[in-house]
Amino acid sequence: MKLSHHFIIFITIFAGFWMDKLIWGFDVREYILFADNIPYLIETSIGLLIFCYWVYAMPEKLHSSAALIQGLIIDLCFGNAIGFHMLFFVSISYIIHVYVFRFRIFSYLQLIIFFGIASVFYLACKYLIFFPTNYSYLLLIFSFFVNAAAWLPIYFGMRSFRRKFIK
Amino acid sequence: MARTTPTYTPFGKYALAMIVSLTLLISDVNYQTFSSTRGSVQATGIYGQLIIDSAASNITKFNVIHKDKKALIKINKDLKNQLSILQNKVFLENKSTVLVSDLLNLQGEMMALSQAQETFIFEIASFGLKNYLCCSSHSLYLKNPQKLKVSANLPVANGNSFIGQTSSTDINLIKVILFSDTDHILPVKINNFFCNAKGAGKPLLISCKAIRNPEFLKIRNNDPVFTSGLGGVFPKNISIGRVININNSISNESKVTIALDASPLESNYFGVLVNL
Repeated sequence: MKLSHHFIIFITIFAGFWMDKLIWGFDVREYILFADNIPYLIETSIGLLIFCYWVYAMPEKLHSSAALIQGLIIDLCFGNAIGFHMLFFVSISYIIHVYVFRFRIFSYLQLIIFFGIASVFYLACKYLIFFPTNYSYLLLIFSFFVNAAAWLPIYFGMRSFRRKFIK
Repeated sequence: MARTTPTYTPFGKYALAMIVSLTLLISDVNYQTFSSTRGSVQATGIYGQLIIDSAASNITKFNVIHKDKKALIKINKDLKNQLSILQNKVFLENKSTVLVSDLLNLQGEMMALSQAQETFIFEIASFGLKNYLCCSSHSLYLKNPQKLKVSANLPVANGNSFIGQTSSTDINLIKVILFSDTDHILPVKINNFFCNAKGAGKPLLISCKAIRNPEFLKIRNNDPVFTSGLGGVFPKNISIGRVININNSISNESKVTIALDASPLESNYFGVLVNL
């Protein structure tokens, strides 16, 4: 695969994490009466889902080294510690590589559930390592539904993007 | 037909990558090995954001000016000019008076807070409001355009009281860790009871756990809390807050929750005490 293709893939992942950051900064509670005191319950993992899509769509072109480097740059730009996204990217990349042909015969619902659980696992580890006092099961449950719902738009959106820009 | 044929996924490379990333993660979380690198990258990001913000505001101003109708500008030109001159005069006079008086007050209060030989005043560059309201990490960045040498672990105040201490300097920004950050520990004194208060991860709250002793039993709600000076960072006997809750539910141990007096949200300028 060309270096420019790696660059395009990284730009989409970076944009995903940037969107996560924007969505996180947009506090919906400010616009709902009496919602000021409830804890913040939704966190998206669009960046991680975009990364998962690329590995799922092109497993033969994205290997451990790509996951490691992309994770390192994301850690530098968005992370709380170097190594967290590296570890997650490499792990999820390995799991997708091993089961990619099994995933291809999965239904959309099964894919939604798998990637929803993967994103919730990512969020749980993130909160347990960096914000243990703010760890909440409610947040994980709400985030599961939000991230699961986000998988299909990301899947179809990124697929059309891939067909247009990476051939 | 499948687009690719099934291939063997070598576990060795992935295992090596996992070991490398796990090592980096553990060293960074436990020993802050890469905190300066991350700080520099994040400071660059904040600078980029500031530059983009100023460029965006300039473009907006430019657009607003050009959207005004020319005919209306001609008719109202003289009136507008006179009005804007008057408004600018009043605004600048007010602004300069407020700014100068604020800075003078802050300087005076900073000197009163301790016997510091030098006090540097810095303007705020960035505040992690979202983290401050939701999560454990509470910090802010101060602008240091003159590149003054500010080391780590210096007390930072906002005019009323101390709010935290310097953590690191990244490019031209000074990172300040607030009392309410869960990683921050502040030695405090309540009456004659001494303890190390840890940030609660919630705005304006710190708490300390201690074994119940006779001095502890004298503590009541609303008792004033002072710095003990035992950490070597803050001068002693500076009021920082009040006791708001005493939890005796843990056997042999009690937890005292302290509400801080000084809110970092109320100021745009902060003082750093040097050479205590």
